[in-house]
Amino acid sequence: MRSIALSRQGRRCKSFAFFCSRGMALLLVLWWSGLVLVPLLVLLSVALKSPTELLNNPLGWPQQFIWSNFADAWSNASLGQALFNSLLITSATVLGLIVCGSLAAYPLARLGGPWPQRLYLYFVAGLVVPIQLGLFPLYKEMHDLQLINTYQGVILLYIAVNLPFAIFLYTGFIKTVPRELEEAARLDGAGPMRIFWTIVFPLLRPVTATVAITSALSTWNDFFIPLIFLQRDGMQTLPLAIFAFVGQFNNNWSLIFAAVIISSLPLVLAFLFLQRYFIKGIAAGALRG
Amino acid sequence: MEPGSLVMMPLEKRQRRPSQWGIRLRQLWTHSFFWLPALVIFTIFVIYPIVGSLYYSLTDWDGLAPNLQMVGLANFRQLISDRSVFTDLRNTLLFATGVMILQNGVALLLALILDGPLRRLTFLRVFFLIPAMLSPLAIGYIWSYIYSPQFGFLNALLGHLGLATWQQDWLGNPRLVLWSLVFTNSWEFMGFSMVVFLAGLQAVPAELYEAARVDGSSVWQRFRYITFPLIAPAVTVNVVLTLIGSMKIFDLIFVMTNGGPGDASESLALRIYKEAFTLNHFGYATAVGIVMALLILTLSIINLHFLRAREEEL
Repeated sequence: MRSIALSRQGRRCKSFAFFCSRGMALLLVLWWSGLVLVPLLVLLSVALKSPTELLNNPLGWPQQFIWSNFADAWSNASLGQALFNSLLITSATVLGLIVCGSLAAYPLARLGGPWPQRLYLYFVAGLVVPIQLGLFPLYKEMHDLQLINTYQGVILLYIAVNLPFAIFLYTGFIKTVPRELEEAARLDGAGPMRIFWTIVFPLLRPVTATVAITSALSTWNDFFIPLIFLQRDGMQTLPLAIFAFVGQFNNNWSLIFAAVIISSLPLVLAFLFLQRYFIKGIAAGALRG
Repeated sequence: MEPGSLVMMPLEKRQRRPSQWGIRLRQLWTHSFFWLPALVIFTIFVIYPIVGSLYYSLTDWDGLAPNLQMVGLANFRQLISDRSVFTDLRNTLLFATGVMILQNGVALLLALILDGPLRRLTFLRVFFLIPAMLSPLAIGYIWSYIYSPQFGFLNALLGHLGLATWQQDWLGNPRLVLWSLVFTNSWEFMGFSMVVFLAGLQAVPAELYEAARVDGSSVWQRFRYITFPLIAPAVTVNVVLTLIGSMKIFDLIFVMTNGGPGDASESLALRIYKEAFTLNHFGYATAVGIVMALLILTLSIINLHFLRAREEEL
């Protein structure tokens, strides 16, 4: 009897605790959702207000939507050119990184002996050493090679910076891919390049997605490398164009926020459409890194 | 095929290796069109500059003049006696610690909730990641506006709610500024850490929870003895990533405070940028860079070691 009573009491306690924990959970989630939502709404509402309304009505939703803020920001910050630059640099980086990284990883994962292992360590050492360390010699080198203010200079630089991580991911993955298909193709007389592109590379799709997403994210949003290597007008990427724009219109928050929205939209839309891949890619990239 | 390294090998290996060595090296060489492009790009743009920086840190290079002088360890000596570098170091460490605790704490809590009681609200995983898709520059401007003392959203909101006494100069108060920045940074990247924790939580088998529940364990016990040990790899990854990321913090501070007021929020990376590109002290900036790199390296090794040991112990 006693034990039954106890257990019943125990159950009641537990359901109370369960209720509490569920309520607490909901509260916590609501709290952070609010914290995420409010600044995003502020971003949108400020971008749609006129300067006078922003002054008189800082908190509320705009009474009149000033859509022309977006057009003004677009032309004043020359966002068209910057959008083109960002798209070009990001896509070329991702493409080059996938080609160079997967190609390099293949022999490192497949060949035996000490040399591939050493070469692998040489690449992966780049994961530990912060790139900023070499910034000034890099600046001089880029200057000497006349790569400052060029697309190819910045693209090569981004590829180099992202290579350690890409090679690390690809090598780890290729080691888990069975060799039998490759052996069969070799017996049929296919060369290593052909084997790689027709048989191995298609199997690497999950890693390729991870590499593409993580490198596209960091390249698109990067501010530091363009700040130093893409100073000239017309070469600027989106973050840099906005930075320059703020320097000119430093207190016109409506135009600044309109420019911020335009510049963030491509990546946010890509994320919303490909969310499953993004989330998988981010988690895989972090957990293997 | 350096004969020098052959001597280093044990005797029995030395006798049969040479031919195999040759074959393996040749094998690697016939595959050179695979790895050569990556090797060239990586060496030119990453390794060469890093090696070069070791050299330039010993000079008084101003970035322009062709004639630079070797000054030995003068840059490092100057660094040790430079009080302001220690302020930067302190700011950077405080910032990194703050972000590590706040961002991972919130992320773990929300991940546990979104994996447990509120599992159905999957759209929140996507929603919480949206700030991480914006550039730190954009985030910097949004929060500069929110924090700004006179027309800012936060103070207006506090005034509206009758909490005018809580109004602050969020970025102008030297004692607050670092924490305002910590919050902004954690706000942006919380979603990343949460996704990593969620991936770790998904690997925990549900039967374990069932068994523990049958045995009458409490929520806390289940977390402490099942969840936490099993997501230890995710904890390691998140701690190390937030630490490394925030030790290198530049964009956000550059945009929001530029190190101010005074040097209350100046980070090491920002200092390096200022020394180099506004003062033309390239040699000195490189020396600070080397110290920062060593610091990041040491901290992440200690961290990895400590946390990995913990993973095994649990």
